[in-house]
Amino acid sequence: MVVHQLLSAAGPVDAVTGQARAYRHAFEAWGWGGSDHAALIDPRMGRWIKPLEKLEAGPDDILLLHYSAYAPRLRPLLALPNRKLLVSHNITPARYLWPYEPVVAVYCSVGREQLPDFVRSVDVAAGVSEYNVAELAAAGARTTAVVPIVFEPPTAVSGNGSSAAAARAATEPPTILFVGRLTPHKRHDLLLRAFALYRRHRAPDARLRLVGEPLSPAYAGAVRELADQLAPGAVTIEGGITPAALWERYRHADAFLSMSEHEGFCIPLLEAFSFAVPVIARPVGGIPEVAGDAALLCEDEDLAVLAELLELAVSDRELRDDLSVRAARRLAAYAPERALDSLREAVLAAAGG
Amino acid sequence: MTEPEQALARARASVESMRAAGAYRDDLAGFRIEPADVVGVPQLIEWALIEPDAANLYSTRRLGAPITFIKRLLLRGLRQYLGEIIAQQTRFNIHLTAYVNQLTERVEALERGAPSPPQPPQSPDAVDGA
Repeated sequence: MVVHQLLSAAGPVDAVTGQARAYRHAFEAWGWGGSDHAALIDPRMGRWIKPLEKLEAGPDDILLLHYSAYAPRLRPLLALPNRKLLVSHNITPARYLWPYEPVVAVYCSVGREQLPDFVRSVDVAAGVSEYNVAELAAAGARTTAVVPIVFEPPTAVSGNGSSAAAARAATEPPTILFVGRLTPHKRHDLLLRAFALYRRHRAPDARLRLVGEPLSPAYAGAVRELADQLAPGAVTIEGGITPAALWERYRHADAFLSMSEHEGFCIPLLEAFSFAVPVIARPVGGIPEVAGDAALLCEDEDLAVLAELLELAVSDRELRDDLSVRAARRLAAYAPERALDSLREAVLAAAGG
Repeated sequence: MTEPEQALARARASVESMRAAGAYRDDLAGFRIEPADVVGVPQLIEWALIEPDAANLYSTRRLGAPITFIKRLLLRGLRQYLGEIIAQQTRFNIHLTAYVNQLTERVEALERGAPSPPQPPQSPDAVDGA
C-alpha cells in the first residue's frame, strides 16, 4: 500500500502537520510507502515534507488529503484518478473571524463553501469526531468515517495522573489553565470574566495561565488588556512553549477551564485528563463526545456558575478524584492505537479493500 | 462530596444563595467578542488606513537574526516606494469605504421609505456611457 499525504500548509507548531507526521509513522510501521507534500512549507520544517509539485503518485496509490481551510492548491488533485481519503480537521466558523482577521475569515468561509466539492470527490470522507462527521455527511459525503486525533499521552505522566496531582502543593494559590490558540471562538473574553469572578468571590490569590499562539498581535493585545483590567497581575499569557514546558503547566494546574464555542475535537481535554486536571467546559462541537462523563460541562450564560464550578473543581477533593478516574477511562477510549486502527480502516475503505 | 453529575446544580444553587447575599453583582466591562457575519462600516474605515507594523517583519528560523536584519534593511531602502504604494492603496480604501457607506445609507433610507440621501457621485466614464 502506498499512501501520499497532501496538506495546504505545513509548520512546526501546526496541529494538522503533527497529525500527518503521526500518520506517516504509523504507515511506516505497517510497511506502507508514500510521501508527504504541502503547498506551503514553513522554513523550520525538516525534509520529511516535500513541495506539492514533487508529488509522483502511481495509479494505485492512495491520496490522503488533510482539509482544514480553503485549499486552492489541493483542489486540482481531486481530478486525479487515484482513490482518495479526505480527513477533515474542522473549519472555524468565519463569523468569529471577520471582525478580527478578515483574511483568515475568507479562508475559513471559502473552505466551508468548497467542502461539498471535496467530500463528493473522494471515496471516503473522515472527520476527527462524530460532530465533524455529521458536517461532512451534511456536505454530501457518500462514505464517512470517524478517525479521532492520534493523541500520545505525555510519557512523564504515569497511571491516572496521581503523580501529577501530587506535584501540586496544597499551599500554593489555585492555578486555572487554558490551552488553545488565542482566537475569538475560544472566547478568552468570557474565560477572563469567569476567572475574575472566581478570584473576587472565592480565591483572591488565584492565577490564570493562558497558553496558545495568538491569531494576531492586535488580538493578543486586546486579550492582554482585558486581563490587566479584570485581574491585574494574575494572568499569564504564553505562546511557543516546548512540550516539556506545556506539561509543566498542566502538572501545576488545579483546574482546566474552556469557554470555547467551537471545537472539532479539543486535544487539550485529553492533555488535561493525562494530568488528572479537572475540566470545566462548554458542551459544544466535539467536546461532549471527547469529554464523556469526565468533565463538568456547563452551558449557562451566567459566568458566576462557572466561577462556582471552578471553586468545586479546585476544592472538592473527592470530586477531583472521581473526575480523575473517569478521565483515565476517556484516555483509554482515545488511546493512540485505537485512533490508528480507525485510520487504517478508513484508508483501506478508501482503497476499496 | 459532590458527584460530577451534581456539580452543576450545586454551583447554580451556590450562586443563587450568594447573589441573594449581595455577591456576584460585578460589572465586568471591557473587550468582548462579537461574532459577526459581516463587518460594519466603522470597522472598514479603521482598516482602510494601512499601517503595517515593521515589528512583524522577522525571520522564523532559529538563527534568523541576520535575516531579520537584512529584511529590515531592505524595508528601509524601499521605504519611499512602499510609502507610495501604501498611500495609493489607502486612498482607494478610503474612497471605497465612503462609497459603501453612502450606498448603505441610501438603501436604509429607501427601506424606511424616507427621502434618500444624495446619490454617490458617478464617475465621468459612467456618465458618458449612460
